[in-house]
Amino acid sequence: MSSAQFEIQLIASLVAIACAIPGTFLVLRKMAMISDAISHSILPGIVIGFFITQDLNSPLLILLAALTGILTVVLVEYIQKTGLVKEDTAIGLVFPILFSIGVILIAKNANDVHLDVDAVLLGELAFAPFDRLIISGVDVGPKSLWVIGIILIVTIGLLIAFFKELKVSTFDAGLAASLGFSPAVIHYGLMSVSSITTVGAFDAVGAILVVALMIAPAATAYLLTNNLKRMLLYAIGFGVFCAISGYWLAHGLDASIAGSITTMLGIVFLFVYLFAHNKGVIAVLYREKQQRTEVSLLTFLLHLKNHSEESERHVNHLNEHINWQKVRSKTILDLALKNNMIQFDKNIVSLTEKGEDFTTQAIDYIITNEDGKIEHMKDDFFLFRG
Amino acid sequence: MDIAEYIRLVFSDYTLRTITLGTAILGAVTGMLGSFAVLRKQSLLGDAISHAALPGIAIAFLITGAKDSNILLLGALVSGLIGTFWIRGIISKTHLKSDTALGLILSLFFGFGMLLLTFIQKQPNANQAGLDKYLFGQAATLVESDVWMMTIVTGACLLVLLLFWKEFKILLFDADYTKTLGFNTKFIDILITTFIVLATVLGLQTVGVVLMSAMLLAPAAAARQWTNSLGMMVFLAAIFGALSGVFGTAISATQNNLSTGPVIVIIAGIFVLFSFIFSPSRGLLFKQIRFIKNRRDLQLHKTLTFMFRIAETHENISHPHTVKILNNFQGFTKRTLQKLVRKNYVKLDGNMWSLTEEGFKTATNLYNQQNSNDE
Repeated sequence: MSSAQFEIQLIASLVAIACAIPGTFLVLRKMAMISDAISHSILPGIVIGFFITQDLNSPLLILLAALTGILTVVLVEYIQKTGLVKEDTAIGLVFPILFSIGVILIAKNANDVHLDVDAVLLGELAFAPFDRLIISGVDVGPKSLWVIGIILIVTIGLLIAFFKELKVSTFDAGLAASLGFSPAVIHYGLMSVSSITTVGAFDAVGAILVVALMIAPAATAYLLTNNLKRMLLYAIGFGVFCAISGYWLAHGLDASIAGSITTMLGIVFLFVYLFAHNKGVIAVLYREKQQRTEVSLLTFLLHLKNHSEESERHVNHLNEHINWQKVRSKTILDLALKNNMIQFDKNIVSLTEKGEDFTTQAIDYIITNEDGKIEHMKDDFFLFRG
Repeated sequence: MDIAEYIRLVFSDYTLRTITLGTAILGAVTGMLGSFAVLRKQSLLGDAISHAALPGIAIAFLITGAKDSNILLLGALVSGLIGTFWIRGIISKTHLKSDTALGLILSLFFGFGMLLLTFIQKQPNANQAGLDKYLFGQAATLVESDVWMMTIVTGACLLVLLLFWKEFKILLFDADYTKTLGFNTKFIDILITTFIVLATVLGLQTVGVVLMSAMLLAPAAAARQWTNSLGMMVFLAAIFGALSGVFGTAISATQNNLSTGPVIVIIAGIFVLFSFIFSPSRGLLFKQIRFIKNRRDLQLHKTLTFMFRIAETHENISHPHTVKILNNFQGFTKRTLQKLVRKNYVKLDGNMWSLTEEGFKTATNLYNQQNSNDE
């Protein structure tokens, strides 16, 4: 591994960490699309900054572009406040228009701008190590490494300093306001950090990858945990893992590094989305099926309890009465038998003592309808789940 | 090229005519379907779809090796639909919210598309150039067959809209009620979503992945300000969309170095801005004017009521009082007093004012009206 390769992976990993931190809060605050809007609308800021400074890594350019990002947020909020359109429409209106202004600015000055829309949106990480920062004749490393490094340090500093405020305002904005934390300050602080991170990272990895690195690791982590600290750590972990594995994927395919990192993020998300222990699709589908069976079982038991006459409890009658298909009735009968809830007596089904007990309590539950009680009851009574 | 020459060229020049027609039709169809996206609070779906379509274009190219735009659009349609339904899956099966799902699919599909595009570029295939026009769109590459394609899709959209108009409308405004009426809501839902995806994909070649969402939203958001009727809104959105297309093409054709997509989006944005400000019932300007007028009326009434209270205590209602006693009353300004005089409610005589017969009557009614309104 050459030093350039190492530097690319280092930059990618730092960008992943710097994005995962604000990204986690954006996902939790239901503002993920704002990061997409910011990533597009910084374009005019970058162009104007570039006219002034002629250097894509200058701090002034980063500041100007970040200001455009915040302007986007302010505009979206203003339009939303007028009540003329909904929030998502406001987002969808503001960023394409700002982006168009940026594209036109570039096109109109194509002769004196060495700036490409593709480069802003897609970035080219492979070239990042060649743009070196030289301080008084000494080569101290790639410029983008320094830019993203400083942004990351500031982000981590802010995260540690304001962790408690961020946490409380994310989960209970009302409580945060009544405790005296200004929601506006925290909101715009988070927006500023997101903007600056987006701008700082676009040169290296492109605006779209910034969005992917903000949202995907946080969303993946959210499927695995409900603990904020753990979610942050998982998100950072996923981000760094995808950054490094994505680099080697790009190396192997000889394709865009940003694209490969995003693809890795997609693969990791898909994997977790399907197989997450508790919230993955397979787990959810399984649970839904289990609940369906158990509800049917309960209906069946209630039916038995309600009818003392034998004709209603005859095996042949049950099928047509509750209107279940053969397979379904068999599953439910088996489940009831396994759990010792029913007994057969010459083709007549009746409840056992345990079945009586369970059904009585279940009726109580349905009448009083207190949440959460029934799951607990199932644990008490069921030997086997549906 | 000046405007007169442009107008002459639109009718004579093949390329310009094709592009103008193409962007106009595109604007109309996206405006129409965009109305539904906006009203269903799925405004950003268009953005996600257009990004999600990119890998489809690349894969279609990898499989067929051809650059036929219809085959590429088919690929885009398939991958756009996969993206859309994955978004729904994420929202319904996990606790991730819709914004996260949208942003996730948007960026992941787009990144994967970029991977494929760069991979294709490295392939020894002379045919590959030009796929990246789908990123930012190039209206100049429109040919007559593309315009025919758009016309056919627009016709199909129109037909489906007319056929299922009442179903779409009722689903839009009361989904639960639709279900209880026995409509197959899932089918209607999938139908409208599919057409939104179709319209989005159709515009990729012209305005590109990034700006497509604005084509879908802007005409609809502008049209929404002028009417409360769905039919009117869809119609207006189609008109606004078509006009943005025509004007955008005209401006970009008469200037050097201006690509069509961004100009169309900015024109559509101007429509939105104009509608936000000048719409008679919802617009900001008239809202502000109404606000000021109401405040003035209220001030006038307050002053009149205050005067009425004073005049009431005297036997002769026209008994003069000094203006000074009004000073410690907030509603009073020089202008409200002038206005009251002009309305002949009050007589001014130097520093003294007195209520006229008419003013007294109005003030009494003002009070009574309030009472009768309360009942």
